[in-house]
Amino acid sequence: MTKGHLGTWRLAAALFFFVTVMLAHHSFGAEYDVNKPVTLTGVITKIEWTNPHSYFYTDVKDEKGQTANWKFEGYPPGVLVRTGWKKDVTIKVGDTVTVFGWHARVDSNWAHGREVTFSGGKKLFFGPPAGTGDGGATPAVGVAK
Amino acid sequence: MMRGLPWVMALLWLPVSVYAQTKTPVPRASDGKPDLTGVWQGGSTQKGTWEEANTGIGLGGSGANPAGASVRSSSDRPAGSEGAPYQPWAAKKVLESFNNRGIDDPTARCLPPGIPRVVMLGLFPQQIIQTPRQIVMLYEYMNTFRVIPINAKHPDDLLPSFMGNSVGHWEGDTLVVDVTGFNDKTWLAGAGTFHSDALHMTERFTRVDQDQINYEATMEDPNVFTKPWTVRSTLMLREGTRIEESVCAENNLAPERYEQLLKDNANFRR
Repeated sequence: MTKGHLGTWRLAAALFFFVTVMLAHHSFGAEYDVNKPVTLTGVITKIEWTNPHSYFYTDVKDEKGQTANWKFEGYPPGVLVRTGWKKDVTIKVGDTVTVFGWHARVDSNWAHGREVTFSGGKKLFFGPPAGTGDGGATPAVGVAK
Repeated sequence: MMRGLPWVMALLWLPVSVYAQTKTPVPRASDGKPDLTGVWQGGSTQKGTWEEANTGIGLGGSGANPAGASVRSSSDRPAGSEGAPYQPWAAKKVLESFNNRGIDDPTARCLPPGIPRVVMLGLFPQQIIQTPRQIVMLYEYMNTFRVIPINAKHPDDLLPSFMGNSVGHWEGDTLVVDVTGFNDKTWLAGAGTFHSDALHMTERFTRVDQDQINYEATMEDPNVFTKPWTVRSTLMLREGTRIEESVCAENNLAPERYEQLLKDNANFRR
Protein backbone atom coordinates (compact mmCIF):
# COMPACT_ATOMS: atom_id res chain seq x y z
CA MET A 1 0.00 0.00 0.00
CA THR A 2 1.42 3.38 -0.94
CA LYS A 3 1.72 6.31 1.39
CA GLY A 4 -1.00 8.08 -0.57
CA HIS A 5 -3.37 5.22 0.01
CA LEU A 6 -2.61 5.28 3.69
CA GLY A 7 -3.38 8.99 3.79
CA THR A 8 -6.69 8.44 2.07
CA TRP A 9 -7.59 5.69 4.50
CA ARG A 10 -6.64 7.88 7.43
CA LEU A 11 -8.79 10.68 6.08
CA ALA A 12 -11.69 8.29 5.58
CA ALA A 13 -11.23 6.88 9.06
CA ALA A 14 -11.06 10.39 10.52
CA LEU A 15 -14.23 11.41 8.70
CA PHE A 16 -15.96 8.27 9.85
CA PHE A 17 -14.93 9.02 13.40
CA PHE A 18 -15.80 12.68 13.44
CA VAL A 19 -19.00 12.56 11.52
CA THR A 20 -21.14 10.69 13.94
CA VAL A 21 -23.79 13.23 14.76
CA MET A 22 -26.90 11.17 15.14
CA LEU A 23 -30.52 11.99 14.72
CA ALA A 24 -33.82 10.46 14.04
CA HIS A 25 -37.23 10.90 13.45
CA HIS A 26 -38.02 8.94 10.38
CA SER A 27 -36.54 7.47 7.29
CA PHE A 28 -35.82 9.91 4.48
CA GLY A 29 -35.60 7.26 1.84
CA ALA A 30 -38.96 5.71 2.49
CA GLU A 31 -40.73 9.01 2.10
CA TYR A 32 -38.62 11.03 -0.30
CA ASP A 33 -36.94 10.24 -3.59
CA VAL A 34 -33.30 11.32 -3.69
CA ASN A 35 -33.43 10.95 -7.47
CA LYS A 36 -36.11 13.61 -7.70
CA PRO A 37 -34.54 16.86 -6.50
CA VAL A 38 -36.73 19.92 -6.86
CA THR A 39 -35.94 23.62 -6.84
CA LEU A 40 -39.04 25.76 -6.66
CA THR A 41 -39.70 29.46 -6.18
CA GLY A 42 -42.93 30.55 -4.60
CA VAL A 43 -44.75 32.74 -2.13
CA ILE A 44 -45.14 31.53 1.46
CA THR A 45 -48.79 30.91 2.37
CA LYS A 46 -48.51 29.12 5.72
CA ILE A 47 -45.84 28.14 8.26
CA GLU A 48 -46.12 25.43 10.92
CA TRP A 49 -43.43 25.46 13.63
CA THR A 50 -44.31 22.05 14.98
CA ASN A 51 -42.77 18.86 16.34
CA PRO A 52 -41.54 16.46 15.25
CA HIS A 53 -41.26 18.34 11.95
CA SER A 54 -41.92 21.86 10.78
CA TYR A 55 -43.66 22.70 7.54
CA PHE A 56 -44.16 25.65 5.27
CA TYR A 57 -46.35 25.99 2.22
CA THR A 58 -45.71 27.99 -0.92
CA ASP A 59 -47.77 28.91 -3.94
CA VAL A 60 -45.68 27.90 -6.93
CA LYS A 61 -46.57 28.86 -10.50
CA ASP A 62 -45.69 26.42 -13.27
CA GLU A 63 -44.71 27.38 -16.82
CA LYS A 64 -48.37 27.41 -17.85
CA GLY A 65 -49.22 29.91 -15.15
CA GLN A 66 -51.04 27.35 -13.01
CA THR A 67 -50.53 27.79 -9.28
CA ALA A 68 -50.00 24.82 -6.98
CA ASN A 69 -49.54 24.90 -3.23
CA TRP A 70 -46.41 22.97 -2.20
CA LYS A 71 -45.71 21.62 1.27
CA PHE A 72 -42.13 21.40 2.52
CA GLU A 73 -41.05 19.34 5.52
CA GLY A 74 -38.03 20.11 7.72
CA TYR A 75 -36.46 20.27 11.17
CA PRO A 76 -38.48 20.71 14.37
CA PRO A 77 -38.54 24.21 15.91
CA GLY A 78 -35.71 23.60 18.40
CA VAL A 79 -33.37 22.56 15.63
CA LEU A 80 -34.47 25.46 13.41
CA VAL A 81 -33.57 27.88 16.20
CA ARG A 82 -30.10 26.35 16.47
CA THR A 83 -29.77 26.46 12.69
CA GLY A 84 -30.25 30.23 12.62
CA TRP A 85 -34.00 30.62 12.14
CA LYS A 86 -36.09 33.12 14.11
CA LYS A 87 -39.80 32.49 14.28
CA ASP A 88 -41.90 35.24 12.66
CA VAL A 89 -38.71 37.02 11.56
CA THR A 90 -36.75 34.79 9.21
CA ILE A 91 -39.74 33.61 7.25
CA LYS A 92 -43.19 35.21 6.95
CA VAL A 93 -46.35 34.62 4.97
CA GLY A 94 -46.06 36.60 1.76
CA ASP A 95 -42.28 36.19 1.42
CA THR A 96 -40.91 34.88 -1.84
CA VAL A 97 -38.42 32.06 -1.36
CA THR A 98 -36.61 29.50 -3.47
CA VAL A 99 -36.51 26.03 -1.97
CA PHE A 100 -34.26 23.13 -2.83
CA GLY A 101 -35.31 19.69 -1.70
CA TRP A 102 -36.49 16.27 -2.77
CA HIS A 103 -39.92 15.21 -3.99
CA ALA A 104 -42.05 12.91 -1.85
CA ARG A 105 -42.56 9.44 -3.27
CA VAL A 106 -46.32 9.27 -2.95
CA ASP A 107 -47.68 12.73 -2.24
CA SER A 108 -47.82 15.27 -5.04
CA ASN A 109 -46.75 18.84 -4.26
CA TRP A 110 -44.96 17.67 -1.16
CA ALA A 111 -41.19 17.78 -0.69
CA HIS A 112 -38.46 17.53 1.86
CA GLY A 113 -37.12 21.08 2.17
CA ARG A 114 -33.36 21.15 2.41
CA GLU A 115 -32.25 24.70 1.71
CA VAL A 116 -34.21 27.94 1.53
CA THR A 117 -32.89 30.96 -0.34
CA PHE A 118 -34.48 34.23 0.70
CA SER A 119 -35.07 37.20 -1.60
CA GLY A 120 -31.98 38.95 -0.27
CA GLY A 121 -29.83 35.97 -1.21
CA LYS A 122 -29.41 34.62 2.32
CA LYS A 123 -29.58 30.83 2.58
CA LEU A 124 -30.54 28.60 5.50
CA PHE A 125 -31.01 24.87 5.84
CA PHE A 126 -34.59 23.94 6.67
CA GLY A 127 -34.07 20.20 6.84
CA PRO A 128 -31.37 17.55 6.92
CA PRO A 129 -29.57 16.20 3.89
CA ALA A 130 -30.91 13.32 1.84
CA GLY A 131 -30.45 9.93 3.41
CA THR A 132 -31.19 11.01 6.97
CA GLY A 133 -32.65 8.29 9.11
CA ASP A 134 -31.93 5.63 6.56
CA GLY A 135 -29.75 3.66 8.89
CA GLY A 136 -26.89 3.34 6.49
CA ALA A 137 -25.82 0.13 4.89
CA THR A 138 -24.72 -1.66 8.02
CA PRO A 139 -27.15 -3.19 10.48
CA ALA A 140 -26.13 -3.13 14.12
CA VAL A 141 -26.00 -6.84 14.47
CA GLY A 142 -23.05 -9.05 14.05
CA VAL A 143 -24.99 -11.58 12.04
CA ALA A 144 -24.58 -15.05 13.53
CA LYS A 145 -23.05 -17.52 11.11
CA MET B 1 25.35 18.30 38.27
CA MET B 2 24.00 21.78 38.85
CA ARG B 3 24.83 22.75 35.28
CA GLY B 4 22.76 19.84 34.01
CA LEU B 5 19.69 20.54 36.11
CA PRO B 6 18.15 23.29 33.97
CA TRP B 7 18.31 20.95 30.97
CA VAL B 8 16.62 18.19 32.88
CA MET B 9 13.97 20.62 34.04
CA ALA B 10 13.52 21.90 30.52
CA LEU B 11 13.07 18.39 29.21
CA LEU B 12 10.57 17.64 31.92
CA TRP B 13 8.74 20.88 31.29
CA LEU B 14 8.44 20.44 27.55
CA PRO B 15 5.84 17.68 27.46
CA VAL B 16 3.99 19.32 30.34
CA SER B 17 3.66 22.56 28.45
CA VAL B 18 2.51 20.78 25.29
CA TYR B 19 0.00 18.87 27.40
CA ALA B 20 -1.18 22.09 29.01
CA GLN B 21 -1.89 23.62 25.62
CA THR B 22 -4.13 20.79 24.51
CA LYS B 23 -5.80 19.88 27.79
CA THR B 24 -8.01 22.13 29.82
CA PRO B 25 -8.68 21.39 33.48
CA VAL B 26 -11.67 19.31 34.46
CA PRO B 27 -14.13 21.61 36.25
CA ARG B 28 -14.73 20.44 39.82
CA ALA B 29 -17.81 20.62 42.00
CA SER B 30 -17.62 21.82 45.60
CA ASP B 31 -17.24 18.21 46.77
CA GLY B 32 -14.19 17.76 44.55
CA LYS B 33 -15.93 15.51 42.01
CA PRO B 34 -15.74 16.38 38.34
CA ASP B 35 -18.67 18.69 37.58
CA LEU B 36 -20.72 17.36 34.66
CA THR B 37 -23.09 20.34 34.78
CA GLY B 38 -23.68 21.89 31.40
CA VAL B 39 -25.44 21.58 28.06
CA TRP B 40 -23.91 18.84 25.90
CA GLN B 41 -24.12 17.47 22.40
CA GLY B 42 -23.80 13.72 21.99
CA GLY B 43 -22.27 11.97 19.02
CA SER B 44 -19.83 14.79 18.29
CA THR B 45 -16.12 15.31 18.79
CA GLN B 46 -16.07 18.97 17.77
CA LYS B 47 -15.22 21.64 20.33
CA GLY B 48 -16.93 25.00 20.46
CA THR B 49 -20.40 26.48 20.58
CA TRP B 50 -23.26 24.70 18.87
CA GLU B 51 -22.90 26.97 15.87
CA GLU B 52 -19.12 26.61 15.66
CA ALA B 53 -19.22 22.86 16.04
CA ASN B 54 -22.00 22.21 13.57
CA THR B 55 -20.80 23.93 10.43
CA GLY B 56 -20.90 20.70 8.46
CA ILE B 57 -23.55 19.57 6.12
CA GLY B 58 -26.23 20.97 8.31
CA LEU B 59 -27.39 18.29 10.62
CA GLY B 60 -27.83 19.49 14.12
CA GLY B 61 -26.46 22.92 13.58
CA SER B 62 -26.08 25.96 11.43
CA GLY B 63 -25.11 24.04 8.36
CA ALA B 64 -22.90 26.94 7.39
CA ASN B 65 -20.74 24.78 5.18
CA PRO B 66 -22.71 22.87 2.55
CA ALA B 67 -19.50 21.14 1.48
CA GLY B 68 -19.14 19.63 4.93
CA ALA B 69 -19.13 15.93 5.56
CA SER B 70 -22.29 13.91 5.48
CA VAL B 71 -23.76 12.55 8.65
CA ARG B 72 -24.99 9.26 9.96
CA SER B 73 -28.33 8.80 11.60
CA SER B 74 -29.48 7.41 14.91
CA SER B 75 -30.61 4.36 13.02
CA ASP B 76 -26.97 3.58 12.38
CA ARG B 77 -24.90 1.55 14.71
CA PRO B 78 -22.45 3.77 16.61
CA ALA B 79 -19.21 4.50 14.81
CA GLY B 80 -16.38 2.21 15.68
CA SER B 81 -18.48 -0.12 17.82
CA GLU B 82 -18.50 -3.86 17.57
CA GLY B 83 -21.53 -5.54 16.12
CA ALA B 84 -24.24 -6.12 18.67
CA PRO B 85 -23.87 -9.70 19.96
CA TYR B 86 -27.44 -10.84 19.43
CA GLN B 87 -28.46 -14.47 19.69
CA PRO B 88 -29.21 -15.88 16.21
CA TRP B 89 -33.01 -15.63 16.48
CA ALA B 90 -32.68 -12.08 17.84
CA ALA B 91 -30.21 -11.03 15.14
CA LYS B 92 -32.78 -12.14 12.60
CA LYS B 93 -35.38 -9.96 14.27
CA VAL B 94 -32.97 -6.99 14.30
CA LEU B 95 -32.40 -7.41 10.57
CA GLU B 96 -36.14 -7.56 9.94
CA SER B 97 -36.59 -4.29 11.79
CA PHE B 98 -33.55 -2.83 10.04
CA ASN B 99 -35.24 -3.55 6.73
CA ASN B 100 -38.52 -2.09 7.92
CA ARG B 101 -37.16 0.62 10.14
CA GLY B 102 -39.41 3.45 9.10
CA ILE B 103 -42.36 1.51 10.47
CA ASP B 104 -40.72 -0.33 13.32
CA ASP B 105 -38.77 2.56 14.87
CA PRO B 106 -40.55 3.39 18.15
CA THR B 107 -39.60 7.06 17.83
CA ALA B 108 -41.55 7.29 14.57
CA ARG B 109 -44.62 6.87 16.79
CA CYS B 110 -43.25 9.46 19.22
CA LEU B 111 -42.34 6.92 21.88
CA PRO B 112 -39.39 7.95 24.05
CA PRO B 113 -36.02 7.03 22.50
CA GLY B 114 -34.64 5.36 25.63
CA ILE B 115 -30.96 4.97 26.39
CA PRO B 116 -28.23 4.90 25.29
CA ARG B 117 -29.84 6.10 22.06
CA VAL B 118 -30.87 9.50 23.40
CA VAL B 119 -27.48 10.07 25.05
CA MET B 120 -25.60 9.60 21.76
CA LEU B 121 -28.05 11.60 19.67
CA GLY B 122 -26.48 14.69 18.12
CA LEU B 123 -29.36 16.68 16.70
CA PHE B 124 -30.78 17.57 20.10
CA PRO B 125 -28.82 18.81 23.12
CA GLN B 126 -28.93 17.37 26.62
CA GLN B 127 -28.40 19.13 29.93
CA ILE B 128 -26.76 17.71 33.04
CA ILE B 129 -27.37 19.29 36.45
CA GLN B 130 -25.14 17.93 39.18
CA THR B 131 -25.51 18.15 42.92
CA PRO B 132 -23.60 16.04 45.47
CA ARG B 133 -26.66 13.84 46.15
CA GLN B 134 -28.27 13.54 42.74
CA ILE B 135 -27.58 14.21 39.09
CA VAL B 136 -30.34 15.14 36.68
CA MET B 137 -30.09 14.57 32.95
CA LEU B 138 -32.52 16.39 30.69
CA TYR B 139 -32.88 15.48 27.04
CA GLU B 140 -34.50 17.84 24.56
CA TYR B 141 -35.44 14.93 22.32
CA MET B 142 -39.00 13.97 23.26
CA ASN B 143 -38.74 15.87 26.57
CA THR B 144 -37.18 12.96 28.39
CA PHE B 145 -35.21 13.02 31.64
CA ARG B 146 -33.42 10.95 34.27
CA VAL B 147 -32.99 11.62 37.96
CA ILE B 148 -29.93 9.78 39.23
CA PRO B 149 -29.46 9.57 43.03
CA ILE B 150 -25.88 9.02 44.14
CA ASN B 151 -25.02 6.02 46.30
CA ALA B 152 -28.63 4.88 46.34
CA LYS B 153 -30.26 1.53 45.65
CA HIS B 154 -32.85 0.85 42.97
CA PRO B 155 -36.36 0.87 44.42
CA ASP B 156 -37.84 -2.60 44.83
CA ASP B 157 -41.17 -1.65 43.29
CA LEU B 158 -39.98 -0.56 39.86
CA LEU B 159 -42.45 -0.25 37.03
CA PRO B 160 -41.02 -1.02 33.59
CA SER B 161 -40.14 2.24 31.85
CA PHE B 162 -38.68 3.60 28.61
CA MET B 163 -35.79 5.40 30.30
CA GLY B 164 -35.20 2.88 33.07
CA ASN B 165 -34.29 3.56 36.69
CA SER B 166 -30.83 5.00 37.27
CA VAL B 167 -28.62 5.12 40.34
CA GLY B 168 -25.09 6.48 40.32
CA HIS B 169 -21.83 6.34 42.18
CA TRP B 170 -18.35 7.72 41.66
CA GLU B 171 -15.39 5.53 40.80
CA GLY B 172 -12.55 8.03 41.04
CA ASP B 173 -13.38 10.70 38.49
CA THR B 174 -15.89 8.58 36.61
CA LEU B 175 -19.63 8.70 37.24
CA VAL B 176 -20.94 5.16 36.97
CA VAL B 177 -24.67 4.83 36.44
CA ASP B 178 -26.50 1.55 36.90
CA VAL B 179 -29.77 1.36 34.99
CA THR B 180 -32.49 -1.24 35.26
CA GLY B 181 -36.29 -1.38 35.24
CA PHE B 182 -36.63 -1.04 31.48
CA ASN B 183 -39.61 -1.98 29.38
CA ASP B 184 -38.92 -3.65 26.02
CA LYS B 185 -40.15 -0.80 23.81
CA THR B 186 -36.99 1.09 22.85
CA TRP B 187 -34.07 0.61 20.49
CA LEU B 188 -30.61 0.69 22.04
CA ALA B 189 -28.21 2.00 19.42
CA GLY B 190 -28.96 1.42 15.77
CA ALA B 191 -31.96 0.38 13.70
CA GLY B 192 -33.78 -2.58 15.15
CA THR B 193 -31.63 -2.99 18.27
CA PHE B 194 -34.45 -4.23 20.45
CA HIS B 195 -34.04 -5.66 23.94
CA SER B 196 -36.07 -7.37 26.62
CA ASP B 197 -37.18 -6.06 29.99
CA ALA B 198 -34.23 -7.95 31.49
CA LEU B 199 -31.91 -5.26 30.11
CA HIS B 200 -29.31 -4.04 32.56
CA MET B 201 -27.03 -1.17 31.65
CA THR B 202 -23.86 0.26 33.13
CA GLU B 203 -22.89 3.70 31.91
CA ARG B 204 -19.64 5.51 32.55
CA PHE B 205 -19.36 9.30 32.25
CA THR B 206 -15.81 10.64 32.44
CA ARG B 207 -15.24 14.37 31.98
CA VAL B 208 -11.76 14.46 30.47
CA ASP B 209 -11.42 18.23 30.14
CA GLN B 210 -13.45 21.43 29.90
CA ASP B 211 -15.00 20.40 26.58
CA GLN B 212 -15.57 16.68 26.65
CA ILE B 213 -17.20 13.80 28.48
CA ASN B 214 -16.28 10.29 27.40
CA TYR B 215 -19.35 8.10 27.48
CA GLU B 216 -19.56 4.35 27.54
CA ALA B 217 -22.60 2.10 27.90
CA THR B 218 -22.39 -1.62 28.51
CA MET B 219 -25.64 -3.47 27.94
CA GLU B 220 -26.44 -6.89 29.33
CA ASP B 221 -29.57 -8.75 28.30
CA PRO B 222 -29.36 -12.53 28.55
CA ASN B 223 -32.68 -12.85 26.72
CA VAL B 224 -31.30 -11.42 23.47
CA PHE B 225 -27.49 -11.14 23.71
CA THR B 226 -24.81 -13.81 23.88
CA LYS B 227 -22.54 -11.47 25.86
CA PRO B 228 -22.55 -7.83 27.02
CA TRP B 229 -22.46 -5.14 24.31
CA THR B 230 -20.51 -1.92 24.81
CA VAL B 231 -20.93 1.29 22.80
CA ARG B 232 -19.03 4.53 23.19
CA SER B 233 -19.54 8.16 22.33
CA THR B 234 -18.41 11.59 23.40
CA LEU B 235 -20.47 14.45 24.75
CA MET B 236 -19.18 17.91 23.85
CA LEU B 237 -19.89 21.04 25.91
CA ARG B 238 -22.14 23.55 24.13
CA GLU B 239 -21.98 26.75 26.11
CA GLY B 240 -24.76 29.19 25.29
CA THR B 241 -27.13 26.50 24.03
CA ARG B 242 -30.46 25.97 25.76
CA ILE B 243 -32.65 22.91 25.52
CA GLU B 244 -36.00 23.49 23.88
CA GLU B 245 -39.36 21.79 24.23
CA SER B 246 -39.95 18.87 21.90
CA VAL B 247 -43.48 17.47 22.06
CA CYS B 248 -43.39 14.87 19.33
CA ALA B 249 -47.11 14.07 19.32
CA GLU B 250 -47.94 17.66 18.37
CA ASN B 251 -47.99 17.07 14.62
CA ASN B 252 -46.66 13.62 13.85
CA LEU B 253 -47.70 12.79 10.31
CA ALA B 254 -45.41 9.78 10.02
CA PRO B 255 -47.72 6.88 11.00
CA GLU B 256 -50.44 7.93 8.58
CA ARG B 257 -47.96 8.28 5.76
CA TYR B 258 -46.35 4.97 6.61
CA GLU B 259 -49.70 3.24 6.31
CA GLN B 260 -49.88 4.56 2.79
CA LEU B 261 -46.25 3.66 2.08
CA LEU B 262 -46.89 0.13 3.34
CA LYS B 263 -49.82 -0.20 0.97
CA ASP B 264 -47.51 0.95 -1.81
CA ASN B 265 -44.88 -1.64 -0.79
CA ALA B 266 -42.36 1.07 0.07
CA ASN B 267 -38.76 0.04 0.50
CA PHE B 268 -37.77 1.40 3.90
CA ARG B 269 -34.10 0.72 3.29
CA ARG B 270 -33.68 3.18 0.46
